[in-house]
Amino acid sequence: MNSIQLYQVLPNVFRQRTEIGGEIWRRDITFSKGQLYLVEAASGTGKSSLCSFLTGFRQDYQGSICFDGQDVSALNISQWSRLRRENLSLVWQELRLFPELTAYENVQIKNQLLHFKTRHEIEEWFSALGIADRMNTTVSRMSFGQQQRVALIRALVQPFDFLLCDEPVSHLDEANSNIIGEILMQEIRRQGAGAIFTSIGKHIDLPYNQTFAL
Amino acid sequence: MKLIWKLLRHHISPLQLTGFFFANLFGMYIVLLSVQFYQDVKPAFSREDGVIRPEYMTVSKRITSMGSFGQEHTATFSDEEVAQLESQSFCKSVGRFTASQYKVSCYLGIQGTSSFGTEMFFESVPDAYIDCDQSRWNFNPEQPLIPIILPRTYLAIYNFGFAQSQSLPKISEHVATMVDMTVRLRGKGIEETLPAKVVGFSSRLNTILVPETFITWSNQRYAPDSDTAPSRLLLEVYNPTDDTIVSYLQDHSLELEDNRLDAGKATYFLKLTSGIVIAVGLLISILSFFVLMLSIYLLVQKNTEKLRNLLLIGYTPIQVALPYQLLTIGMNLTVLFFVLICVWISRMCYSQMIWAMFPQIPEGEFFFTVCVGVAISVLVSLLNVLAIRNKIINIWKHKD
Repeated sequence: MNSIQLYQVLPNVFRQRTEIGGEIWRRDITFSKGQLYLVEAASGTGKSSLCSFLTGFRQDYQGSICFDGQDVSALNISQWSRLRRENLSLVWQELRLFPELTAYENVQIKNQLLHFKTRHEIEEWFSALGIADRMNTTVSRMSFGQQQRVALIRALVQPFDFLLCDEPVSHLDEANSNIIGEILMQEIRRQGAGAIFTSIGKHIDLPYNQTFAL
Repeated sequence: MKLIWKLLRHHISPLQLTGFFFANLFGMYIVLLSVQFYQDVKPAFSREDGVIRPEYMTVSKRITSMGSFGQEHTATFSDEEVAQLESQSFCKSVGRFTASQYKVSCYLGIQGTSSFGTEMFFESVPDAYIDCDQSRWNFNPEQPLIPIILPRTYLAIYNFGFAQSQSLPKISEHVATMVDMTVRLRGKGIEETLPAKVVGFSSRLNTILVPETFITWSNQRYAPDSDTAPSRLLLEVYNPTDDTIVSYLQDHSLELEDNRLDAGKATYFLKLTSGIVIAVGLLISILSFFVLMLSIYLLVQKNTEKLRNLLLIGYTPIQVALPYQLLTIGMNLTVLFFVLICVWISRMCYSQMIWAMFPQIPEGEFFFTVCVGVAISVLVSLLNVLAIRNKIINIWKHKD
């Protein structure tokens, strides 16, 4: 997948609004593979909705979203599953980890789909992010900041053309944000992928190609 | 799969699954035991004679008190009466019973030793009415050996009356056909002894049958001048349940000898009883099916968020549904396994009783019951699998 196009997309919840500001909704926008994008906006402007629309989790919008020119509303369940395994990776704002599993199991449950990364590579990321000692701790016993790092690692153990990160460092300090930025950039460059980051102000310092205000 | 199972097994209720297990166990047990019992007992009621085809009926004149004192001129059928019967619409053909007109004594023994003897008689019907190997059912005066078909009741009287009271061994039909018989025939100043062999048993013909060729030969030899008018007729009908048969027989003071109607009623009641029991078993099975579905639905409901998250990270609905589907299939197969063992044990308990009562019936098939059990399990598992799949698809579509 080389591009994501948005044509006059507007969440249904905003339909009644007379004035739609920002640079995403009701616009024609193209996100290209290999580019970095930052979507900045205040809370309640639809950043998470955008991520949900792009991963097929929600369809409550008007307008159309296309992947390489194909309208995503025509995709069936198995096509979406394949996209989520091989083309699109997402770090959810609410993380969507499994609290009963350990940090490593949360990563492995995704990695075992395609066996994309080795255990060694995963352990290196845990070490780099300072949570190596928490690998075998159940996620329910970890802080939100630690969980955020686990969710980031989980997003990287798959092939992707686009990485979507919904407020990925909202609970992390600057040092950890920078480490995450390095790891993310390494993997994005290695895969030649594009990335869309959303932020309410605090964001990872990366060489974004374009910034949108929502 | 291991991680998925670890994740999704949360909220499994052992109590609910145990409830399903026993409910399904009882339901399936009742169904399969009824099927097996029906299979085992059915031949006792519906087994064909083996030597006389089912559409044949034995007809005789009604014996009255007056007739017993010789005031009614005859109990035999004249040619006109036979012709009249043959002309009836329900009648396909009429065969005449021909009785021996001379004295017959029979002696039994094994390996040449004679054990006991009795006076008796022979009758024959046309060979075409006998459904028996024709090579065994003939008589050749050059090499005389008389094939005999005995009423099955004779064997029952021996086994359950005589043998039981005298502590003698019971004999099967097969053993009976190996017994040496000697027949002494006397008439017209001639007395001869001929060997005989039992070749079969009949439940429907209450007479000692020999081939027609033998009766013709022996009547000519020992009683050439006697009257051979038949006292009984074998009626071949188009439809044994035809009402006109009964009214004709009543109008002409005739009666049927066999108990086919009784056997039919018994079979009907056997079917009815088995049907009711099977229905009760099926009802329990259906209820247990709903218990399992309810249990799985609750499990899926409680794990909805996890299932949704698995779908969002790239798992397909098939992969996500698989653990629950395997769980139900495993439960169904386990139940089937235990039910088949229970049915097998139950069958061993009741079969001794059945075969003591009906020694002539063949052993019923257990394989058929296994097939029914597998069919029910496969059907139920298929319904479970589809229901779970739909449930997961609904989660995908945010309907749950």
